[in-house]
Formats: sequence, C-alpha cells, structure tokens
Amino acid sequence: MDRKCLLVIGVGLLLRLVLFTAFPSLPTILAQRVEISTPVTSYKRLQEGLFLYTHGVSPYDGGVFHQAPLLLSLFSILPDSTILTNVFYVLADLLSAVSLVQIASSGVSGVTPHHVSPRKDNRWPPWAIAAVFLFNPFSIATCIARPTIVFTNSIVLHSIANAVQGNRAPAFVSLAMASYLSLYPVLLFPPLLLLTYDCSKAVSKPSIQAIGAICTIPFVTALFVYLKLSHVITDSWEFIVSTYGVHLLLPDLTPNVGLWWYFFIEMFDSFRSFFLCLFQLHLFIYVPGLCLRLRKQPLFALITLVGITSIFKSYPAIGDTSLYLSLLALYNHTFPLMRYTFFLAAAILYATFLGPAFYYLWVYAGSGNANFFYAITLVWSIVNALIVADALYAVLRDEYETERPELIGKDVVQI
Amino acid sequence: MALRVPVNLRKNLSVVLYGFQALSIGAVIVGIASLLLLPLDEYSRRTYISENALLPGQVHAYFGGSEQNIVRAFRREVDLLGNSTSDVVAERMAEIFRSAGLKVGKQKYEYKAAGGEYTGENVYAVLHAPRGDATEAIVLCAPWKNIDHLLNEGGVALTLALSRYFKRWSLWSKDIIFLISSDARAGPQAWVDAYHDLHGPNIQSLSVKSGAIQGVVVVDYPGAYHRFESLHILYDGINGQLPNLDLINTAVQISRDQMGLRTDLQEMWDHADTYRHRLKTMLRGMVNQALGHSTGPHSSFIPYHIDAITLATHGDGWHDEGSLGRTVESVFRSLNNLLEHFHQSFFFYLLMAPNRFVSIGTYLPSAMLIAVGLTLTAIRLWLDPRSRTKAEGGEAVEQPDEKPTSKATKEGGENKAVETVIDGGPKRELFLPLSVVIGAHFCGVIPFAVFNIIDYKSMSNVFYLFIATSFILPTVLSVFITLTASEHRLLPTFHLSRCFSLLFLGMFLSTLATVNFSLSFLIGIFSLPLMFARTTPTSVPLAFINTVLLQLTSPFAALFIVANYWGLGIEDVLKEASFGWWVWGMWTPVVVWSVWWPAWVVGRVSVDASFVMALTGKTSG
Repeated sequence: MDRKCLLVIGVGLLLRLVLFTAFPSLPTILAQRVEISTPVTSYKRLQEGLFLYTHGVSPYDGGVFHQAPLLLSLFSILPDSTILTNVFYVLADLLSAVSLVQIASSGVSGVTPHHVSPRKDNRWPPWAIAAVFLFNPFSIATCIARPTIVFTNSIVLHSIANAVQGNRAPAFVSLAMASYLSLYPVLLFPPLLLLTYDCSKAVSKPSIQAIGAICTIPFVTALFVYLKLSHVITDSWEFIVSTYGVHLLLPDLTPNVGLWWYFFIEMFDSFRSFFLCLFQLHLFIYVPGLCLRLRKQPLFALITLVGITSIFKSYPAIGDTSLYLSLLALYNHTFPLMRYTFFLAAAILYATFLGPAFYYLWVYAGSGNANFFYAITLVWSIVNALIVADALYAVLRDEYETERPELIGKDVVQI
Repeated sequence: MALRVPVNLRKNLSVVLYGFQALSIGAVIVGIASLLLLPLDEYSRRTYISENALLPGQVHAYFGGSEQNIVRAFRREVDLLGNSTSDVVAERMAEIFRSAGLKVGKQKYEYKAAGGEYTGENVYAVLHAPRGDATEAIVLCAPWKNIDHLLNEGGVALTLALSRYFKRWSLWSKDIIFLISSDARAGPQAWVDAYHDLHGPNIQSLSVKSGAIQGVVVVDYPGAYHRFESLHILYDGINGQLPNLDLINTAVQISRDQMGLRTDLQEMWDHADTYRHRLKTMLRGMVNQALGHSTGPHSSFIPYHIDAITLATHGDGWHDEGSLGRTVESVFRSLNNLLEHFHQSFFFYLLMAPNRFVSIGTYLPSAMLIAVGLTLTAIRLWLDPRSRTKAEGGEAVEQPDEKPTSKATKEGGENKAVETVIDGGPKRELFLPLSVVIGAHFCGVIPFAVFNIIDYKSMSNVFYLFIATSFILPTVLSVFITLTASEHRLLPTFHLSRCFSLLFLGMFLSTLATVNFSLSFLIGIFSLPLMFARTTPTSVPLAFINTVLLQLTSPFAALFIVANYWGLGIEDVLKEASFGWWVWGMWTPVVVWSVWWPAWVVGRVSVDASFVMALTGKTSG
C-alpha cells in the first residue's frame, strides 16, 4: 500500500468522522431514510433489539428486530457510547477500503489465467478505487446512517480480497459471516470458488473438485459455528425465522428502493407464496449462467452478481448499490466500451434526487401517494439493471476483442 | 436493446447534435407557450366540489341579529386594548374565552432572525365537541395584528363572538379551537409547531390540546366599524404548498351563492374573467408560490398537511360583520361534515379566477419541458466532439467516436491470451470540470449562511459586497483555469463544465417542479441564457453580449425585480428570506444559493474564459 492509498483512506475516514462530529443530528436523520435503512439493517431496530436483549427479553419477540444475534452480542460488548459506535462503523469502512485496495493491487480485474485484457494498462491505480468507494455519497450516507449492511459489505470485500490473494480458508470463513449476517451473499459462493481457484498460488494446482471441497468445508463449518453460537446466545432457534425468514418471506412491507414492497402490497394473498418463490428463485438463476459465461473472469461474475442482488433482493438499500459501484470501478478500463455512461450517470442522479422528493410528497406533504415513490424506485432499479447490463456488455466485448483483435472498434449490430 | 443508438446516427454525429439543439429549443418554447395557453377555456377547468360530505351552503346560517351587537361590543374591547402589550391582551382575551365556558391556553414565543427579535403571546380556547371524541379539531384563527400590522379589530371581535355562539350549538362533531395569535407571521407558526410538539426551547408548550386539525380558517377584518365589499381568499402556504382545492371551493361557493359576496384571489380586485385577468391572477399566484413565503397566518399550517385559508375583507361595500360571521359559520358547518381528512380534490393547482383552475397534469409539462430543455442541452454538449481533449499537438485524431487503433501482438504462453495495445482516442477529461461545478455548488453554502446570520442593518452593504464578489469570482476562476491548464485542454474543460452544470440544473429543476412548480419554472426561465452562453474565444463581441445577458438574468437581478415588485428595499427582501428560514423553514434561499447561483457562476466562468483566452492568445483549443 503506497502513500497515496494511505492518504486517500485517511481523508475518507476523516471525512466520515468530521461528518459524525460536526453534524450530530445527521445520523438520526439519515437513519430514518427508507432508502438507506431497511427493516433488516436499520440501526434504530438494532438498538431496539439490543435493549430487549440486555434486559433479558428475547429480542425477536416484538417482531421489530430482524438482524443476526451475533450483532447483538457484539454491540452489547461495545461500550454504550455514540462516539465509539461511530468509530466502529468508520473502522468497518476502513476494512472495506483496504480490501478494495488489495483487490485492485492484485490486478485480477485485468489479468486472469484465462484472459488478459487488452486495456489492462488503462486501469485506475488502487488509490483511485479506494477513493471511488470512500467518496461515493451513497457509501458516505450509508456509513453515517449506520445500518448493519456496512458490516456485510466490508466482510464481503474482505472475503474477495482474501480470495484474490489465495487465502482460501479466510475467504470462505468471511463469506460465511456475510451470508450469516444478511443471507444473500451466499449467492456469491460459486464465483468466489472459481476466483479462489484461479488465484491459488500453489505450484501444482489441485483440481477444481479438490478446491471445491477445500473451500466448502471452512464455509459450512463456519456457518455452523455462527448459527450454533447464535443459538447459545439467544437460547433458542427462533432467530432463524426472524432473520432469514424475514429475508425470504417478506413480512415487513416498509418501502425501500427495491421492487418487492409495492408488488407484495398489491398482491392477492393466494398468489403470495407463488410469487415469493418466484422472486427468490429469480435471484438464483443468474448464478450458474454468469459463472459459466464469465468463467474467464470470475471476479466480474461475482461483481455482476453483487449488482443483480442489489437490485432484486428483498430489502435492498443504497448501501448495496454503493458496494456494486465501488467494485465496478475495478473494471474501469472497460468503461470506454460501455454505451450509455452519460445517460446512466444522469439517470442515477435524477433518481437520487427525485426519490426523496417523491417520498416527501407522499409521506409528509400528503399531496402524493405511494405510486410516486414506487415510480422512482422503478427508475432506480431500471438504471441499476442497465448499468449491470452495460458493464457486462463492455467486459464481454473486451473479452471478445482479445480473441478477435481485427474487430476492435467495429460496431456491433444486434440482429 | 431498445436504447441502442442506430449505427448511421453514430457516424453522422452532427445530425444528432443539431437534432438535440432543435429539441431543446423546441422544448423550452413549447414549455413557455403551453403555460400561456393555460388561461384559455380549453385548458382550464371550472372548479367543482369533489368531497360530497362538504355540502357547502346547504345549511341555514343563523349568525346575525343580536349576535351582531355582541360583535360590536367585543370590537370596543379590542379597540380599548389596541396598543397594550401582548401579555395584557392575552390575559383579557383569556378572560373573555373563560367567561364563555371554554378551556383556555396561552403560549409565549420568541424568535430571533436577521438581528431582530419577534416575541408575542398567543391565546387560544378549545370548544369540546358535544358529539365528538376529541380526535379531530378545526381552527378559527384571528391574528391580533394582521400581515400588514393593522389591528385586526373585526377579526378578533368576530372570533370572540363566534366562540360564544358556537358554544350554544350541539351539532359539532369536531372540536373547535379559537386561536388569537399575537401576529400574523410568527405567532401561528409558534402555535402550530407547539401543537405538534416540534417546537424549540424559544417557544412554550401548549397546556391544552385537542385532536388532529382538519382545517383552519383565518379571519382578517381590520379597521374600525367598516363595511366591506368582497372577500379576499389567501391560500399560498410556506414553500409553495397549497391547501386542498375543496376548501377554497367551499369558501368561494358559500360566499358567492349563499351570501352574495364576491371573492377575489391574488389581489385582483376587478377580475373580469378575461384572458388577461386570468393570466395575471395565475402569474401572481405563481410568484407567491415561487417565493414560498407566508401570505397570512394560514400559511404556517399548510406544511403540517393542514388545509388552511385566510378570509380577508376588502374594499368598501354593504357587507358587514354579519355576512362574514355567517360565511365563517357556514364554512365551519361544512368542515364539521368532513368524514375524513381533505383528500378528494387537488393539492397541486393554479387558480386563475375564483372558479377556474388548472391541475398538475395540465401545467406540470411546462416546467418539466424547461428542465428537459436544459438536460437535452447537457446531453448535446456531452456528445459534442468538442468535449474531448485532443492529444497534445492537436490534429492526431479527428474522429468523434473512439476508434482505438490497434496493433495486436501475439504473445506466447499457455493461456494464449492476446495482448492488444490500445492507443486510446481522444478522451473527455472529467476531473477539472467536475470539480469546478461541484465546488461551485458547495460554495453556495457561503452566501446562504452569511445572509442568514448577519444583522438586518448590515444586510444591504454585505449584499453589494457579495454582488461585487460574484461579479469578479467567475472572471478570477476563468483566468486561473486559463493560465494553469494547457491550451488544448481549455475549450473541452469549459465545455464540459457547462455540460455538467446544465445537467445538474436540469435535474434540480425537474425535482423542484414536483414540489414547488412555480419556483422551478421561474428559475428555469431565468436560466435560459445558460443554454446558449458558451465560450467563444474567437468572437469577443458575442462573449460580451453573453456576459450582459447573464448579468441581466442573474439571481441578483431577480432579487432586484422581486424588491421592485413589492416596492421594498433589497435589505427587506433579504430580511424576509432570513426570517423565512429561521421561523417558517422556508427553502427558497437554499434553492437560490445552492442551485441557481452556482449554475450561474459556472455559466459566467465559461463566458468570461472567452475574454481571457482571447487576451492570452490561447485560442486554438
């Protein structure tokens, strides 16, 4: 890690600390925003659960708290001080930034054993990737509002960083932690496996089956340990229903930037279970396809899955999008091949500003209704989906041009 | 994919660029024209009552006769208290309310803004509904001094008389709160804030409360013993929010059909229902909405989603307190009928006569089209090949599209990957333009903070100092950029700065249009020169014209226009803005300083660069 990285990370963390201290009311205001805090990540609900937990009541009784039990024990160990909690969140962002620097320094986004991008020298240096994460308004807002998605994000990044460095066991133990915290990172298991396989440093590579076994064991063991620990902490298994059950069954229809809440408000009860299965399966179908098609660049398969999850998961927030955008910066050398950069940037800005405005009209001014906000979450999701699709196009085009250099610069016509 | 740009258009970029230019100009013209069409019969609609429960004017109003003598007696009381301090007034009012058998509360408040102190004491009484459960309330309010600082004798007297009169009826299903606020601007705000427990330590809490407020009617009837000609209905809320149209319709219908009272809007005293008068009413409404200030005590209630209007008397005619009392009584009977909160009718509308309006679907496109025009210009600037920095030395690549020339070198190895060295085409350099634009937007905090902190007395001096600074700042910036950046980067830098600035402006304005249509539209109109004011190092006269044009449409020019419109000094307008921010939570200054002013500064920077580049001879670009 060079001096520039340290400088960027230092300034980024300082900015967060300054925001925390200069505007003491900001965390509360941001934590109330539905775009940032969801029922499964909200800091307010975490405090509620913590209160019940420390007073000897089961935190899952009230139907308010839907987060993992280990977070409870973590926060009950932390001294009850706002400053320390804030610092803790800033440290989580520090871990994310360091992990991003490690991923960027490894160069996996440009060179893999199966593919060398012709544009690999145009990649941004690691400090720029860290800057994209640290100075992204979405990640700053997420850090300040203190939803627990911050931890999931940094653990996912930590896991990827371990994978690209060839540390198999830590990578999968971290992934198990991320999956334990918010379920959906479990989808990243296959691409992470491929990534670990491609990046293993051993001279004589074991077969993919062997790697699969080597990695599955720590993953499953860790997951089991976390669940068992949670059982010990809360003294019952009811947390499974209150945490993963909520992710899967969507009992809380608080608005968020995703597509689920409105859909399931409007849904007739008889169709509810069918569409729940459909929506959940929809997330899974991308995994095999992306892993196969992007076999040469498993990191990009993983990033694309992060992007898809951030759109289609049951309780998405802008924290998920910020994770995807920061990871996407690793592939900035393919951005010139994207076709709608300006349009997408403008559209995402529009959605960012119109979303709170329409939410205000609906909830506070009373002059709008739920359709206003839903329309904007649709735009937001479409824009994110277009970014995912366009980035995928750019990376595939980059791959294609490696095979067929004579076609560089030619237009593609879709028939 | 549907969004794919057809291949032939990519080749003929100039066609696309002209297309965008034509589209953006077209959007603006259509936007303005469609606003001017609104007063026509084909585009506006007659008002109608949506909420059937209101039944306006269906009941007989009994206020009158001997009640009028009571009003006159109370007038005398008010007259005697005329210049007393607010606590004396509050005590006497409380006494009167108590003697009518009502629960009374008093509330002191104190605001500080622009170096001035605004203190007073509100007094209010709650009439518990004989047929209600105290979950809903309606408010009858009379400010002691009205918005023009005149003693509101008739209004207060009428409120006192009505409190006795209403107490006798057994038909109320909602609590009625009688509020006598100390003034028309800060008092109601303090009261409504405290009613919802959202007040600061400078405001006392309320000792007595009732249920959720469903509607508010303010009576403004100043002067001694005068008869009036017409009722002036004021309806603009803080930040341009409006009450539900049903409330205005109810008041208009009751005064017109039941009382034979003419109603006026927006100080249009002789409205002949012609195109010109309708347009004028609409434009006046838009100016009030755009400024987002309080036009009466009702304005403070509207942000709490409480529908409120002020009924102000005007002129000299044959109506007396009896007519006004019966009007208020009838409106209250209608409000009493409400089964649920006002929701049926429109919240977004422009009124052009008491019985004509346009709803949001008809008028919103005009503001949106202006924002779209700005955005389309931004897209055009982005697509323009001039946004790309050519390689050092100039004419290396002329193509607008990036066509990387490649020389493939086969590389051995087991992965058989082919490494291709890409010689990138001309790139857009985003860092400097983005930092100029974002920096300008952050700088908007400075004037905003300064004008909200300083004293009333120093305001005009600081303002002229600030005008001078903003006049010089863009020039200094453009000199700085021109001297530090290398020659071939200059034009793309200014080009892209304009692009981002217009993109942001278009985005802000379209967002704003959904919240405060008029403000968005007016800023959009003033910002139109930004669409055309570009860097022209080869034509200094054109740059000069652009500078003058920008200077004429600057936020300062707009401030002077506003000051002229009301015949106020510039420091009064700024004081009003500061007061609005501290007391009402008015957002207009934020929008002006952190959306409009930065866009204007960036526009000036790119125009001023023409002079600097012409002077320094860095004109090749």
